[in-house]
Amino acid sequence: MALKPKQVIDTMNEYYEMYPACAGRSIHKFGEEASNAYSASRKIFADFLNANRPEECIWTRNATESLNIVASSVKLPKGSKIITTSLEHHSGSLPFIERAKRDSLMVEVIKAQPDGTFDIEDWKRAIDNNTSLISIVHSSNVTGTIAPLKEIVELAHDRGALVMSDDAQYAPHHPLDVQAFDVDFSAISIHKMCGPTGMGVLYGKLEHLESMNMCLYGGDTVRDVRFEKGIIIPEYLHPPEKFEAGLQNYAGAIGAGAAAEYLQSIGMHEIEKHERALLEIAMKRILEMDSVHILGTDDINIKTGLVTFTVDTVPSAHDVATFLNDEFNVMVRSGWHCAGPFHYQMGIDPKKGTTRASFYLYNNIDDVKVFLEGLTSLIEISS
Amino acid sequence: MPDLSKNAQCVLKILGSGNSFTTTEILELARTEKYADICTDCAGGDAFVAAANQLVELRRITKKFGKGGYRWQLAKD
Repeated sequence: MALKPKQVIDTMNEYYEMYPACAGRSIHKFGEEASNAYSASRKIFADFLNANRPEECIWTRNATESLNIVASSVKLPKGSKIITTSLEHHSGSLPFIERAKRDSLMVEVIKAQPDGTFDIEDWKRAIDNNTSLISIVHSSNVTGTIAPLKEIVELAHDRGALVMSDDAQYAPHHPLDVQAFDVDFSAISIHKMCGPTGMGVLYGKLEHLESMNMCLYGGDTVRDVRFEKGIIIPEYLHPPEKFEAGLQNYAGAIGAGAAAEYLQSIGMHEIEKHERALLEIAMKRILEMDSVHILGTDDINIKTGLVTFTVDTVPSAHDVATFLNDEFNVMVRSGWHCAGPFHYQMGIDPKKGTTRASFYLYNNIDDVKVFLEGLTSLIEISS
Repeated sequence: MPDLSKNAQCVLKILGSGNSFTTTEILELARTEKYADICTDCAGGDAFVAAANQLVELRRITKKFGKGGYRWQLAKD
């Protein structure tokens, strides 16, 4: 969860205060303003991702919903294989595991290396002509490691497979160009990128979105609903409307656009550089601490600005998080980070979990120092 | 009790069964059959520990950090 800049809050307040109406429905002045802001926001977001066109960006509730839409609705041949990994967030694996169960598809799970990286040879071996879809986390929310997405997409497309990239952790911290990566789908979480909670984006190449089944049916998804000879005959709209049934979170979508605009005004390369500078300082000191063990690679060039670790003298990560919060006002995340399989793979009891410290554009070196001071104090007291 | 979340009720029930417990001990007990009816949200532990911290604020329980981490116990009347 990222902090929210004033620009985002002001933009959302403006919607509620100045033109609180439904987009695409009401013909009054407020409705027109809401419609304009809603579609302008989609355009801003499409530019943020370098999507080919705004219609390729679907507003969702969160990245989980984006992943579920694809998992439940993309057309996959009978008997084909889905590939996912042991590093996925539960939202990146479970929707596809359940889809496979539903349609009797095969699933292959590629095991991440202990440092959270992938061996490209594993992908070359696993992706075959029967592979229909790959669900992969671009940047892990646990280890922060960045997957070799471009290589994997090339391998997948050579074999005719689609790639669903979980960009929830990547998009807020790195420049994301969906056309350059050539992914078929991308799931994005807005609350991690300075935007409102309860908002996500599903990016999909238009041809795929066009061919996919709908998930929800109802208002705002139809071109026409005729009634002939006692039968109701619907005619549905194209993307994005076909995936945005019912009244939408207009303030959220407008806020998402404001967040994307805010990040772009700073520059994604600058944000990435800033985070890595802070990460380098933190990692260097942590690596000197004998009783602290980093989960994931220590190569900051293939890492998002986060460090996840365990502490020998404090078995429960929740205790680490509670201590840092109570004594140093440092807020970190503890637990299994919705990534049970990788914790089990690494022999880490999910009940004890791991602690994750994340750095973002608003953090500075003083924040890192306080965090390291807190960690040092925790070790001293608990030893 | 009914106004407390299930997680908070579970923490109180576990702490009521002994003198003091570590965080890991509480989470291990929460996953046992004995507490299955009210301890439903303990898989990752974070929501559970958040509930315990709320109980500290309500002065229903206490926590103390020392060797090995926190120990939790019911507040003395």
